[in-house]
Amino acid sequence: MNLYLNQIAAIVWKDFVTELKTRELLSAMFIFALLVILIFIFSINLSIVKASEVGPGILWVAFLFAGTIGLNRSFMLEKENGCLMGLMLVPADRTAIYFGKLISNLIFLSIMELFILPLFMIFFNIDLLSHLGPLLVVVFLGTLGFCALGTLLSSLSSNLKTREIMLPILLYPLLIPIIIGAVRMTGQILDGTELFDMMKWIGLTASFDIIYIGVSIMTIDHILEE
Amino acid sequence: MNQETTEESNEESYILVWLTGIVFLVAMAAIFLFVPTEQTEGPVQRIMYIHIPSAWLSFFAFFIVFICSILFLWKKEREWDIYAHASAEIGVIFCSLVLITGPIWAKPIWGTWWVWDARLTSTLILWLIYVAYLMLRAQTEAGSMRARYAAVLGIVGFLNIPFIHFSVLWWRTFHPQPKVISSEGFGKGMETSMLVTLGISLCAFTLLYFLLMGQRIRQEKLKDEIDRLKREQLYSS
Repeated sequence: MNLYLNQIAAIVWKDFVTELKTRELLSAMFIFALLVILIFIFSINLSIVKASEVGPGILWVAFLFAGTIGLNRSFMLEKENGCLMGLMLVPADRTAIYFGKLISNLIFLSIMELFILPLFMIFFNIDLLSHLGPLLVVVFLGTLGFCALGTLLSSLSSNLKTREIMLPILLYPLLIPIIIGAVRMTGQILDGTELFDMMKWIGLTASFDIIYIGVSIMTIDHILEE
Repeated sequence: MNQETTEESNEESYILVWLTGIVFLVAMAAIFLFVPTEQTEGPVQRIMYIHIPSAWLSFFAFFIVFICSILFLWKKEREWDIYAHASAEIGVIFCSLVLITGPIWAKPIWGTWWVWDARLTSTLILWLIYVAYLMLRAQTEAGSMRARYAAVLGIVGFLNIPFIHFSVLWWRTFHPQPKVISSEGFGKGMETSMLVTLGISLCAFTLLYFLLMGQRIRQEKLKDEIDRLKREQLYSS
């Protein structure tokens, strides 16, 4: 068990060191998310619609698009120089590779989101600080679901010729439940609803996260098989 | 494959072709001649006898994809891959049919082609998932990789259905409540003659599914056989 955790930690550490060296991923994701939010602000008229009604949707679209860039990048790096082949040759369980990539994707995405949230607060003039606790729970649940399925499918699409196009085509329809859930919950939180009053949505997103992590553990052996 | 089994399966498929044809004729007669016109909705309601069987068939086909995907990952036999592929193609065709007949029915009844109702939305998402599945198959070259990837997507996609169902249901809904299997009991919400017609139509569509499956599987196996012969030719010369 200890060895298994060490293996996961080693993969996460490797991704961190690479990111510290290259500084490609986080800055690209952050700027892209910011651009998505800006484009939405220009394409809707904020003086007509209520900011707290359209805000959550725009925020999650930005997270989703920027996250897709992150996912694409994450397995591309592994494909370059045959790094993935090296990982697969390591006498480690394949699920350790999955969990390593899942955790590093989750951390990178969360860092990007922590930078985006204050800007979102300023641009939309919404007070996030008074609902910060529940908001972070919801953002975490949504991001975990995105990463659970995203890591599985990006490990799959990285072997395709048209990987940049295929990842969103495969991923987005499957993510619709979690997007609806996350947007709804974020909207309700901004309206001042307590977490206990939206148990059905929390249950839906949490079970989505658990089921897709489970499915990934069971099927990752068949994807990382060369 | 030897000569005898080919002839035998040919004979079977002929029986299936005739049976499907006859049941379809009976279904058409029932839809257009036998069943009374619905009181409030008028003749357009007859599209239901195509709409509901197509929906049932596409869900059934996607369920078969799910089962065959699991069996493929378990047994790693080419057979299951072929079944999953054939079933996904048929499912997408009938899912498209549902999405086409739905708006034709909705326009005169609801007054719009499309509403973001739970069942319309989930059918559309389902269609997108399985179109992506077929695209994944088209993008990868034949072989073990394609079969494995498609099987993983077949499993992941089907497990998504309950999540889609609940999320779009809580999102919003105004589709007519289920009439055939309602809370009052089986078939209580509908006239007997309508139920019978729907039953015949369901039979016809289900037979059509098996007919198409058989043809598609045979086609795919012949393709494998041709590939094998080509390779043999290549290496022997």
